[in-house]
Amino acid sequence: MVHPTVKPSSAHSMEALARSAVDEAMARGADAADARIVRCAEERLVIQNGALKESDAPEDFGIAVRVFKDGAVGFAAAPGPYPAMRNAVSGLVRRCLASARDLAPLRRVPVRLAGRADACGEYATPVEEDPFMVSLEEKLELLMRASERLGGRREVVSRLAGMSLRREEQWMATSDGGATHQVLVRSGGRVEAIARARGVVERRSYPNALEGDFRSGGFEVVRALDLEGNAERVRDEAIALCHADVCPPGQRTLILGGGQLALQIHESVGHPTELDRVLGEERDLAGGSFAAATDPGSLEYGSECVSFVADSTVAGGLDTRGWDDDGVPSGRFDIVRDGQLRAFQSGRISAGRAGAESSRSVSRAEGWYAPPIDRITNVSLAPGHGSLDDLLAETEDGAILADTIKTWSIDQERRNFQFTCEVGWEIRGGRRSRLLRLPTYQGSTLDFWKRCDRIAGPEEWRLWGVVNCGKGNPMQVAEMSHGAAPARFRGVQFVDVGSRLA
Amino acid sequence: MALLEEDHAFEIADAVLAASEADETEVTINCVEDRFVRFGHEGPTQSADRERYDLAVRVRFRDGEGFREAKASCGSLDEATVLDALGRAEILARVASPDRGAVPLGGAVEVEGTAPSRPTQDHSFKEKAEWVEAALLRCEAESLHGGGLARTTVASMSIVNSAGRRVHGATSRAEFALTCADGGADAETVGGSASSASVRCFVDQVDVGGVIEDAVTSAVRARDPEDMEASPVDVLLEPQAVAALMTFTSGMGFGARGFHEGSSFLTGRVGERLFSEEVSISDDPTHPDLRGLRFDGEGTPRGAHPLVTSGTAHGPVTDSFWAGQLGLSNTGHSQAQPSTSGPSAGHLVVAEGELSRAELLERLGDGLLVRQLHYVNVVEPRELVLTGMTRGGVFRVKDGAVGRAIGNLRFTQSLVEALRAVDGVGDRATRVGSLMGGELVAPALLIRDFKFTSKARS
Repeated sequence: MVHPTVKPSSAHSMEALARSAVDEAMARGADAADARIVRCAEERLVIQNGALKESDAPEDFGIAVRVFKDGAVGFAAAPGPYPAMRNAVSGLVRRCLASARDLAPLRRVPVRLAGRADACGEYATPVEEDPFMVSLEEKLELLMRASERLGGRREVVSRLAGMSLRREEQWMATSDGGATHQVLVRSGGRVEAIARARGVVERRSYPNALEGDFRSGGFEVVRALDLEGNAERVRDEAIALCHADVCPPGQRTLILGGGQLALQIHESVGHPTELDRVLGEERDLAGGSFAAATDPGSLEYGSECVSFVADSTVAGGLDTRGWDDDGVPSGRFDIVRDGQLRAFQSGRISAGRAGAESSRSVSRAEGWYAPPIDRITNVSLAPGHGSLDDLLAETEDGAILADTIKTWSIDQERRNFQFTCEVGWEIRGGRRSRLLRLPTYQGSTLDFWKRCDRIAGPEEWRLWGVVNCGKGNPMQVAEMSHGAAPARFRGVQFVDVGSRLA
Repeated sequence: MALLEEDHAFEIADAVLAASEADETEVTINCVEDRFVRFGHEGPTQSADRERYDLAVRVRFRDGEGFREAKASCGSLDEATVLDALGRAEILARVASPDRGAVPLGGAVEVEGTAPSRPTQDHSFKEKAEWVEAALLRCEAESLHGGGLARTTVASMSIVNSAGRRVHGATSRAEFALTCADGGADAETVGGSASSASVRCFVDQVDVGGVIEDAVTSAVRARDPEDMEASPVDVLLEPQAVAALMTFTSGMGFGARGFHEGSSFLTGRVGERLFSEEVSISDDPTHPDLRGLRFDGEGTPRGAHPLVTSGTAHGPVTDSFWAGQLGLSNTGHSQAQPSTSGPSAGHLVVAEGELSRAELLERLGDGLLVRQLHYVNVVEPRELVLTGMTRGGVFRVKDGAVGRAIGNLRFTQSLVEALRAVDGVGDRATRVGSLMGGELVAPALLIRDFKFTSKARS
């Protein structure tokens, strides 16, 4: 559990504004209410092919009011600045109460909130080096050096080095007496090379594909990535992939690197254990879950070496904070322990619907503009023992080591998945040998995790940040981290993605 | 709050231009008013009554043959906040490395104005509640769990730059979507389910009754699916399924960046017959089912633009930068600048054919009718190898007659090959969206030998 330091808020006016919205909602007849004021500042820098192509400093500021009335929920939101928000509060309260009243007759079962949201306090991400105080010149120089090292080979058709730094501040008040203020900072970046040779185009990324890798923390996170030190390897691997064979189809042992495992965890453990999905309330867009509300305590989710822990207090996690957007304190709990499903991830609304006494603090919204929904928190695979080299040394010839997501797809019940990695290596003599492109494996969630027979140890375990998790309708984007060390799976099906591509 | 009128938007932008110290300045103002009710089988789950602004300032300082460029944005339009964004952009741009490939901002243009629909803007929660109640009652009558979305959105966009460009437009969008399924865990794998949606430009065009009937009757029909092994099979893809595939052509296929890098199916194939002669594709913001803005992210005018005619591919879509790089004309497909992802065809229209639904089924003969594809993603960009799942009802077709539902299947299929194997195009195209974003207009497509590679439940 987080034990935030309780100290007087440095922003009484925001706190007072959030409180006034809640008080007005209650005075006008709400059964419960909360208000969030969110201010978000970001800096994004991307060097593409040696030139600064994206240099963006967005800021966003607004207020959201949520009311519970007669078993229904109303939500209204408007942008800042402070005087505009202050003038908007009464209108927002009236609008969300009116919509809750209009919608209440449609509720077959009244919304019930589990637990209370009466926490008070402050939380701030521990930051060693404020990312917004580092000079722009230094940031650009860091990226430019990495970008230069991605070049120098004629096969490279695109090279990219980027970073993104974000600070989100939130003031929240609840009708249970809760009053919280938190400042969340996250930083990260990436390099990426796209190469073309013999009609093949391949991409290689570091430290991860898509947006890169991120952690909660300051500029020390970007420095620790050592983008420059990894750029030449990334470039050379992209070129080598153009000359590599396509990973052959068939059933073989698979060792997944941590970056790929993070996405595997995200899609096949994170989403199917969100309680709103389990209860069928995400059916209209993202889908449901193979897991039933009654499964915790009985469903065998994986082999005995597999344990998943949810932890919104873990150092460096992208969903590490003091409270969720229901105002419930962060915490740590087992989702799967020794292979058995133990608990789902819930917010106050889904927990209330399931008859639980309290939520698991996973209710989050994208900024001030959207109502909170159940989101995956930091969900990690517990480490086993030994190094990756030990794992490779003890694995038979013909196995495949694959890493870094290239494409991902999973069905609406989170059962049948198919993932393609950026890179694969055939294992020979207990080490990496032949490089392979487009390693594509397909499986079924429970069967796949039951095939896990070994996980590397704490020395290989680290958090991987996901910054593009889409959920909800209309879709909202959320961020979270997944910790993993490389793990081995037996008898995995590799897919023929098109022998013509070879 | 209302959407910004053109004069008001230009006034705000002009104040930024006047205060800017940069050699070139561009101001883009987006405004959105959005109301939605999302619902599950127990009633409304989330709703929102909300509005937002986004004002982006892009500034450029000349440096030799290029520009030092940066952007900053803010979420409110008061003078202090807007000028603060300008200041941030100027600070960033002054230290930026010069981009020698950047081309000067475009000057004055004429674009056709588009106005928001007042009834769409005014559509209330009470009216949305009526849609939702009708859907829930119909689902309950068939013991189905219904869920979906009732949503109305109006938006405006204005771009003003220091080179004299001043464009403004507005769009409207209304949606009612219903997914219904038998209840419980694994409902879509073991039971019946179907989705239907009506996404239109104006709220009075939304066919709520049609959506409810389509989803409910299809879900009932999809009950008790039988097992089928995954293998290549002829399919009739409904428009929703076609959209889930075609959305990947917008940027990766038709965009200039992928074309230049060699990862697009267009690279080296312009002028070739790439797809079946029955396939024609355009990008058309003027289509009556789309009614998009008549200018792109740089304020360049745009209209109907052919991409594929009778199977033969034209060149890629461009913006000012990529047009210069490739020596092509600017087709008006810029994203908001600056952007590393390159231009994209955001208003795809797959041309209607001549076959009625009955004729398509008859031509299909034996195969599968696929209503929807889910969570589609790109395995390989050059041939656009895609993977994804069937969803919301897959039915056997025998001798042109729709029969029993089968369990969901995964496909791994090159879209280039699939469009080459099109053997029939439906005579009614509709506006449809997909999970991965984007909306387009598409008819049903009959595709031979579609490669299913695994089952939802093995």
